[in-house]
Amino acid sequence: MSSDITTQPSAVARQAVERLRDAGLYGPGDAVLSVRDLNVRFNSENGVVHAVRSVDFDLMAGKTLGIVGESGSGKSVTSMAIMGLLPETADISGSVRFKGQELLGLGDKAMCKHRGSDIAMVFQDPLSSLTPVYTVGHQIIEALTVHNPGMSSRAKEARAVELLAMVGIPSPQARLKSFPHEFSGGMRQRVMIAIAIANDPRVLIADEPTTALDVTIQAQVLEVLHAAQEETGAAVVMITHDLGVVAGMADDIMVMYAGKPVETGTVEDIYYRPRMPYTLGLLGAVPRVDTSQKSSLVPIEGTPPNLIKPVTGCTFADRCPLVTDECRTAEPALLPVVDGVTAGGGAHRAACIKSGALVDVDAHRIFHAPPVPVSKFDGVPRDERATVLELKDVKKHFPLLKGSLFKRRIGTVKAVDGLSFDIREGECLSIVGESGCGKTTTLLEIMEFHPDQVGEVVIGGVSNKAATDGKTKQAMRKEMQMVFQDPTGALDPRFTVYEVLAEPLENLGYPKDAIRKRIMELMKLVGLQPDHVNRFPNQFSGGQRQRIGIARALAVNPKLVVLDEPVSALDVSVQAGVINLLDQLRAELGLSYLMVAHDLSVVRHISNRVAVMYLGRIVEMGDVDQVFDNPRHPYTRALLSAIPVPDPELERTRERIILQGDLPSPLDAPQGCNFATRCPVFAALPQAKKDKCLTLEPPLVSEEAQQFACFFPDGEIDADMLVVHA
Amino acid sequence: MQVLRYLGKRALTYLVMIFLTTSAGYFLAVSSLKPALLEQEKIPRPSPEQVANSFRLLGLDPNLNPWERYIQWLGGILTRWDWGRSPNGAYVNAEFADRVMISTRLFIASIILTLIIGVALGVYSAARQYKFQDRAITSYSYLVHILPAPIAYFLVQLGAIGINDAVGERLFFVTGISTPGIEPGWPAFVDLVAHYAVPTFAMTVFGWAGYQIAQRQYLLDNVNADFVRTARAKGLTRNQAITRHALRVSFIPVAQSIAFTIPAIFTGGFFAEAIFAWPGVGLWSIDAIGKQDVNVATAMLAYGSVIFAIGAILADFATTLVDPRVRVQ
Repeated sequence: MSSDITTQPSAVARQAVERLRDAGLYGPGDAVLSVRDLNVRFNSENGVVHAVRSVDFDLMAGKTLGIVGESGSGKSVTSMAIMGLLPETADISGSVRFKGQELLGLGDKAMCKHRGSDIAMVFQDPLSSLTPVYTVGHQIIEALTVHNPGMSSRAKEARAVELLAMVGIPSPQARLKSFPHEFSGGMRQRVMIAIAIANDPRVLIADEPTTALDVTIQAQVLEVLHAAQEETGAAVVMITHDLGVVAGMADDIMVMYAGKPVETGTVEDIYYRPRMPYTLGLLGAVPRVDTSQKSSLVPIEGTPPNLIKPVTGCTFADRCPLVTDECRTAEPALLPVVDGVTAGGGAHRAACIKSGALVDVDAHRIFHAPPVPVSKFDGVPRDERATVLELKDVKKHFPLLKGSLFKRRIGTVKAVDGLSFDIREGECLSIVGESGCGKTTTLLEIMEFHPDQVGEVVIGGVSNKAATDGKTKQAMRKEMQMVFQDPTGALDPRFTVYEVLAEPLENLGYPKDAIRKRIMELMKLVGLQPDHVNRFPNQFSGGQRQRIGIARALAVNPKLVVLDEPVSALDVSVQAGVINLLDQLRAELGLSYLMVAHDLSVVRHISNRVAVMYLGRIVEMGDVDQVFDNPRHPYTRALLSAIPVPDPELERTRERIILQGDLPSPLDAPQGCNFATRCPVFAALPQAKKDKCLTLEPPLVSEEAQQFACFFPDGEIDADMLVVHA
Repeated sequence: MQVLRYLGKRALTYLVMIFLTTSAGYFLAVSSLKPALLEQEKIPRPSPEQVANSFRLLGLDPNLNPWERYIQWLGGILTRWDWGRSPNGAYVNAEFADRVMISTRLFIASIILTLIIGVALGVYSAARQYKFQDRAITSYSYLVHILPAPIAYFLVQLGAIGINDAVGERLFFVTGISTPGIEPGWPAFVDLVAHYAVPTFAMTVFGWAGYQIAQRQYLLDNVNADFVRTARAKGLTRNQAITRHALRVSFIPVAQSIAFTIPAIFTGGFFAEAIFAWPGVGLWSIDAIGKQDVNVATAMLAYGSVIFAIGAILADFATTLVDPRVRVQ
């Protein structure tokens, strides 16, 4: 079956020959899953969306295939098509064979024999993937019952306990009777994995299994997946947008773009010898947590094509810096990369007519990454720069109440517990930590700016203790503006961009023509076309919307911009452009940033200083390179070790600290050191030293340009919490 | 155990609410309803003193202020469970039981039938979304929704009369509760069914629309939920996944809505009682207001509150049964 997209005769002939070869045996004999020419089309109101276009791959027993792509690349639809879980209206063609047996075209009932026993799946969002009204035990046992009707209920319960223990849930026997809402997100994802491996599947498909989780929990869950694979010997299809997550796990990688694989090969081929401009750009767009990067990120301009329109040339042509007319005449086929370097013997394939010329090229040069911007403050020592924001012992405690009519206080949640730091001109301070550590509350406390707050917030020389009238508050707002996480939610859909940008200026009483002039300036500043000001937010892409959000924040010329997860809602390739813009604006305008982010790679790339928070307190703070290269607090060490690095060799060999359990509820914050309950250093300490951690609260001590709150910095890590993949 | 304590707590809350609404209702009634004015229209016209005197004997003394009358009324209820008398001298307690009996008999079958049929059709139509069956059932529900109840009931009566005429004998009674003087046993039962069939049919056929639309909607919201997809990934068929996982979750909001429909049927069934000539609670309430009858109006308000509370507790109970998250809170 030849692809109906390709128009070039020679390409058709080549493909036909390949397909004949493939069709003979449907892939190598030991492939557990062979996908050939998989196409998925959806009917939509606007026309037929060709979401997946001729996907081919073979999955060998016990191996891991990573499918990498951005949102809309068709990676999830591919997995759902294999599972037979797409809606009936989807038009699916091609072939999916499990151990040589065709799965496509099977009815729901016939497919059910394979689902959950031969092929199992773990989904992205653990919070909504379990039925809220049944116990987890019931849900695990249901998976056993479906495929083993003869199994005794005692045997099923024993197996369920065994499974829960395998995925690392403490006291599994008792937890069988718990409902999903009694588990944290990480725990629920473990339960999902337990359900998936219940019947020893030969193929396990994991669709972004850790995207919704914190980095420390992500590291735990990836460990569990790893263990589950070793236990069952299943082949794994790992679907992700994060090049770091698959680097250590996958044997082979398939990069998807616009519904089609654009490059496939071994993990080394893809990471060290990419031959397709998109892969090159993607690898260059990701900041690295393990090295101090002194170059800009690779921005990939533009957006992926709309798959309603028929594809006439290379789908990446519009975003590719190397594009020539030849690229637009026909869609390039996925062909073996021809050169001496490739080790895989034809397994490395790329869909680019120029792949032969892309040997050892620098993505930064091809994609014209901007030079590293230099700020006028960079040469000035920190002590000589003015302070734009200062926090002195800021606290936010929430009372925990019980009772319906008469409330009584049964405890206190110390969301923020004595925070002190300052930000100087031209620098970026990032606050990092797991969700629930108090990052967002800190931002809210700063924005609140009320005299009744506990502790002092000084913004641009104005203290919250003096903010008794609206005028002082207004003066403060002029100094500080905010950029929000979700660019779509942060813009009023009924406002044109002009109105969005004019609002803060009108508020400050700018005259009309000055507003117009300023808006044009702002549009150019953030890299948008000034003649787009009369468009509505929904006419822009996600990255462009975040640029509008940044322009709105900059409208009143603030000194400090608060960035709340500014790029976490954006795709990797778009994220790089926004990060570069933030870097450039900081240098050009002499801005200071206070950023909250969960992605430590982004933090390392963009910030000068970093503060690590745990349960409402700063546990370590200092220059970003110093803290990241030489972390002293065990929590910082664990956090950094949890970040996967997009480098397969390094990722496979490095030691990682896997923290036990979840962030404890701030309600039962322990005496002494908050972190002792999960601390890998504490676990290895002799009892005499443990007592110190349990009774005294470690103060934040300074050592050179770094502060940390730990009695035993650089202590030995407990061997149980240290994992090395051989 | 936990469930019982939870329900006990709710029952106590509702008891306080019933007391408050009934008391407020009494003050409203006693200060706006003036039965003495109606007495003035009698021929021969009684003197105001005569009227006041006869009302005082009934415990409806118009010369007392609202607070004094409230104390008197409340004292009667608390000490003797005596809800007072009507201006014509009838005891509220005596008539109340008959009226409630009539209303309950009229509505109970159709309440149960509407609930079962409505939810079942909702599930059936959701599972066949946009197919012919779904379109027919759901269009019917919307049509019934916009049709005023009196017109719908008259249409059913006309239909029943048509059948009677076609058969040539009186199969169905379109009004009334029973034929007077019927001999007990089999003939009485046949008579009961003949009287019962028309109103029950009318109220059921025109009553399930709300449940059907709600149940269909909530189930459709859950048919494509992530946890249904998980259930299918385990190896359940689509239908198994829907009936075992989506249905129970989607029934939670429907169970809650029952609380608010049961009292509406019991107390707002005025049209049904009037059209089918079953003189129950609804008619009595309307009559009470027409006759400026303070005690009956308040008693009806109290009755409505109790029915509402029972409905709400039933809904709570149903919710605790289907949703484990409620139990732990």
